[in-house]
Amino acid sequence: MSMRARIRGGDQAAFGQLFDECSKAVYNHAFRLTGNWSAAEDVMALTFLEAWRLRARIDPEGGSLKPWLLGIATNVHRNVRRAARRHDDALSRLPRGEETPDFADEVVGRIHDAERLAAVHRAYARLRRQEQDVFALCVWAGLGYAQAAEALGIPVGTVRSRLSRARRKLAGAGEPPPPPRQVVGDRGPDKEEIR
Amino acid sequence: MNWPAERDLPEGRHRLLKEFVMSEIDRAPAKRRLPRPTVLAPALGLAAAAAAAVVAVPLLFGGTPAYAVSKGADGLIHITINEAKDPKGLQEDLREMGANVVVDYIPQGKKCSPQPRAARFLSAEEAPLTVFPMPEGSEPGFVIDPRVIGEGRTGVLEFSVSENDGGVIAGIWARVAEGPIAECVLVDTTEAPLSH
Repeated sequence: MSMRARIRGGDQAAFGQLFDECSKAVYNHAFRLTGNWSAAEDVMALTFLEAWRLRARIDPEGGSLKPWLLGIATNVHRNVRRAARRHDDALSRLPRGEETPDFADEVVGRIHDAERLAAVHRAYARLRRQEQDVFALCVWAGLGYAQAAEALGIPVGTVRSRLSRARRKLAGAGEPPPPPRQVVGDRGPDKEEIR
Repeated sequence: MNWPAERDLPEGRHRLLKEFVMSEIDRAPAKRRLPRPTVLAPALGLAAAAAAAVVAVPLLFGGTPAYAVSKGADGLIHITINEAKDPKGLQEDLREMGANVVVDYIPQGKKCSPQPRAARFLSAEEAPLTVFPMPEGSEPGFVIDPRVIGEGRTGVLEFSVSENDGGVIAGIWARVAEGPIAECVLVDTTEAPLSH
C-alpha cells in the first residue's frame, strides 16, 4: 500500500516515517516564512498535527507528500493563531527548545543570515499574499509548478502566472541588479555580451 | 533572492518533536472549539439551499449543557445541540414536552441498522416533522413540530455528527413512523450521512 494510502487510512507508523522524511523541508520552509528558527519549530509541529487532522483529504494517487505538507505549513503560518487555537492543548505540551549558547562562527553566520533574510523579506512583503505563497513554494522551497499547484490547491496555470507576476514585481523592487556586463564591438542594437 | 543553506533541526529536537507529534496524534480527539453564532448564520442559509429533509447546522461546542430544548408559544420545539452526547436525555426531554420521539446520534461512516427502522414512515410532505426553513429570528438549531406526529405514531430523529474544518456539523433526519421503532444499532456505511 502506498504511503499516501497508509496515512490516509490512519497508519501512525507511516506518519512517523513521513515526519522523518519531510520535517526538515517543512522546518526550513517555516523558517523562510517566519524568519525565526524557534517559530519555525512551532509551525513545523503544528503543520504535522494539522496534516494528521486533514489526512482524509489526501489524494491516494500521487507522489511525495512534501508539497501537500508545505501547503499546510503555508496555511498554518498564515493562520498561525487559528492553528494554535485548534491545537492549544497540544501546544501546551510542546517541548520547548533550550537556549544553547552559539559557537562564535555560527553566530556570525546567523547574523549574516538574519541580514540577508531581512532584505529578502522586505522585498517579499511587497508581493500580494497569493504571490507570496507561490513564490515561497516555487523559489524558496524549490517545488515545481505542478507540486506548488497541488500544495495550494490551485491550477498549474495560476501558479505560473502568479510566479511570473511575483518575479516581475521583485525585479522592479529591490532584487539585486544583474552583474555588470561588457559590451564588445558595436553592431548597432545587437550587442555581443561577455560575462 | 538566494537563501542561506537549509539546516537540520538541532540535535535532539528532531527526536523530541517527533515524539511530541506522534504522542499527540495518538491522543483522543482534541477538544472542539466554538464557532461563533454570527458566523454560523450564513451556514444555515446554505443548508436551506442544500436540502429539504436533511438540514445541516453547525453545532455549538464549548457551551454547557450538551443540548437545550425550548417550546415556543406556537407549539414548536427548538432544539440546540451543543455537544454530541446524551441523545437519550434529549429524547426524554422532548417526550416530556409532548413529542413522542426516539433520538439517535449517528457518527460519520455509520448508519442505523436495521433499515428501515419501522414498518412505515410517513413522507416528509405527509408529516413535516422538521420546520424548515426555521422561523425568522431563531437561534441556530433545529425546530420540530410535535403536532404532526399524531396519536400512536413516533417521530424518529437521527442527528449526524461529523468533524469538519473549524467545527462540528450536525444534520437532522426526522420522520414520523407508524408502529414500533427498531433500536438503532450502528453499522459501517460508505453512504452519505443520514441517507436512508
